[in-house]
Amino acid sequence: MQKKIVAIIVAIIIIVATVAALQLAPQAPSPEARNIKIGLVAPLSTSIGQDMARAAQMAVDEINNAGGVYVKEWNTKVNITIINADTIDDSPANAKPPVVRAVETDQVDMLIGGYASAGTLANEVVAIEAKVPFIITGASNQLVTRRGPQGNYGGLPEDDSRRITDAEGMSYMFHYCTTTYHYSKTVVDFFAEIMKPMVAPNRDFRLAIFWRNDPFGQGVQQATKYWIEQEDLPIEIVADRNYDPATLNYQTDLTVVKQAKPDAVFVVDNPDKTPLIIKQGWNDVGLKSVYIGVENNQDPVFYSLLGQTGDGQLLESKLDPFMIPSYLPAVGEYSQKYNELYGKTPGMMGADTYDAFYIAKDAIERAGTVDKGKVRDAIEQTKMNVMLILTETGKIEFSTGTNYHEIDPITFIEQLYWDTTANELKSQIVWPQTAGGANLKQADFKLPTGYQAGSP
Amino acid sequence: MDITAPAIMLTLIWGIAIGCIYMLLATGLNIIFGVMKLVNFAHGQLLVVGAYLTWTFSVSAGLNAYVAILVSMVVVALLGIAVERLTFRRVLGGDKLNEIFVSLGLIYIFENATMLIWGTSSLQITSPFSGMSLNLSSISITYDRIIAVFVVIAALAAFGLLIKKTKIGLAMRATSQINNTAMLMGINVEKIYMITFAIGAALAAVAGGLYGIIFSFNYQVGAMPTIIAFAIIIMGGLGSIKGAIVGGLLYGITEQLATYFLNGLWGSAVAFALLIVVLIIRPRGIFGEKGE
Repeated sequence: MQKKIVAIIVAIIIIVATVAALQLAPQAPSPEARNIKIGLVAPLSTSIGQDMARAAQMAVDEINNAGGVYVKEWNTKVNITIINADTIDDSPANAKPPVVRAVETDQVDMLIGGYASAGTLANEVVAIEAKVPFIITGASNQLVTRRGPQGNYGGLPEDDSRRITDAEGMSYMFHYCTTTYHYSKTVVDFFAEIMKPMVAPNRDFRLAIFWRNDPFGQGVQQATKYWIEQEDLPIEIVADRNYDPATLNYQTDLTVVKQAKPDAVFVVDNPDKTPLIIKQGWNDVGLKSVYIGVENNQDPVFYSLLGQTGDGQLLESKLDPFMIPSYLPAVGEYSQKYNELYGKTPGMMGADTYDAFYIAKDAIERAGTVDKGKVRDAIEQTKMNVMLILTETGKIEFSTGTNYHEIDPITFIEQLYWDTTANELKSQIVWPQTAGGANLKQADFKLPTGYQAGSP
Repeated sequence: MDITAPAIMLTLIWGIAIGCIYMLLATGLNIIFGVMKLVNFAHGQLLVVGAYLTWTFSVSAGLNAYVAILVSMVVVALLGIAVERLTFRRVLGGDKLNEIFVSLGLIYIFENATMLIWGTSSLQITSPFSGMSLNLSSISITYDRIIAVFVVIAALAAFGLLIKKTKIGLAMRATSQINNTAMLMGINVEKIYMITFAIGAALAAVAGGLYGIIFSFNYQVGAMPTIIAFAIIIMGGLGSIKGAIVGGLLYGITEQLATYFLNGLWGSAVAFALLIVVLIIRPRGIFGEKGE
């Protein structure tokens, strides 16, 4: 009997030891393990597209050099490979085919990027239909995430071809960037709170909107009107003028704007055009006003083209890579590293893209798989600390559930000034004082030298 | 919107100023067509190269932007000679389709070459008068725009003298009429073709330099000015220098007036509608001759 008990105990010990040994022994990676393929959707032959590509490569090199992305399902860490989806000029016709190739031929696990709203509205349809997670880092028209049932079709009429009825497909879209609603609100709030008391204390503030006629410009124009009405702001839109995005000749349109006698001009265009508009307005037409551009202009091209004429003008932004020392240490470190690697100052679109690759890594590691549905769920549950883009909660979070997926970034107003020592245009934050727990304001807003207020 | 006399006057000034640059580009295109019977779709790319070279000479060598235009004019003329000898000469006189495809191919070659050399970022040439304006009551205009108009007038006057008063000009006119007869009269037609292409390229370089001072540019901006230049020479009459001048002014003024009274979206549309009207009324253009 005693021998039997001993034998049973020995047998149990052997079994337990064997199981333990098996569990402790390193398991081989799954034979299915492979690099994660992320499609970078960007107009690579433009300066902004190249900024996005450089930032993407920087993030991927950092991630891969640190060991890669752990995929539980494969029981190993794997590297990320960037698959370029070059959208040429980001026009709808050119922006779609490269995304079709990335999704169907290259079979990417995820997409990151998208610059122009028009191009992104065209090519995201491919990702929606194929149900590929797409972290959109550039296109600011809110329709990119709100044109489905979750976003109540972005307010589009029933017969509008831009409506997407596939709610599940739309749930794969994530907007990691400011929308036109975000920055239009910042702009009108700044005018009402700071500039109106200075130039129009006893009357409505007179605002002109000068916008390129495309989905980006339309989005900003509509959002600006929306917020003025929604917040019942003492702002009157005295000129609402749009133009062909291909033109470079704005004087005649600006002459009409000048006739409306605005207190400020809200210019909605890209970094290669906005400086021309400001220069032609100020120098050619003699419209000595405050001009404000939006954050897509946060690019070295904008500063170099605008030059000294930019002294005193404004820029709405959510990131400033030019400031030394930076308002946010992470931004300063990013700018320095980028500059060391590429010998250039980074732009804002690249910074969004850089963060997005870390969001992708985090989501895949939490999902434990590259299964697109599970990765989509994981992105929805993202709760990372902020990186380069400040948010209200200090966390990177996308709205979840049946809602559309957007982040809640902090935006601010910068005033440009001509640094006579460095002989270059620089910027400093003038509003708000604080946001998201960070102290942002660096200087008081001052009217530009030669400014002429509008009048009724 | 209040329609005021100063605003209309300003609009006319903008129209003339922009029309002048297009006029210069159209004149170059027209002389090449008139003498060589060659339709060069890559003409706008010569404007872009002219702008880049002017920028390079003014930034790297520290030249005054307007002096840099003169240097760039010479370089682009030499480039024009190379292009003519290496490409168009091989296909000239053959199938028109070959000439067209050579010029279309040149667009891509120039675009990629300029992108590789100067990058993708937009640039603007800084002149000594940048940011300075002439203020007359309620009218304000930058010195650079005024200078641009005078540069165009000077360039066209010099070109006119060359055509009317020199032996080369006489040979160019003879070749433009009937090249075989010109050859029989002892004119070296191939040499005239080469000189013509160089002059056309040089005019494009001047237009490019002025364009780069007034606007910003990158490697892709050549297409739109080329289309407009074609519209101008068709409206003015193919091969007619007078037509290019009048066509350029008409196009610029119409575009700006349409922008003023309607808005910027209508500028080009109305200008091209005018082109259609002119062609309906006078199919060979305002100054075009029969058979052109």
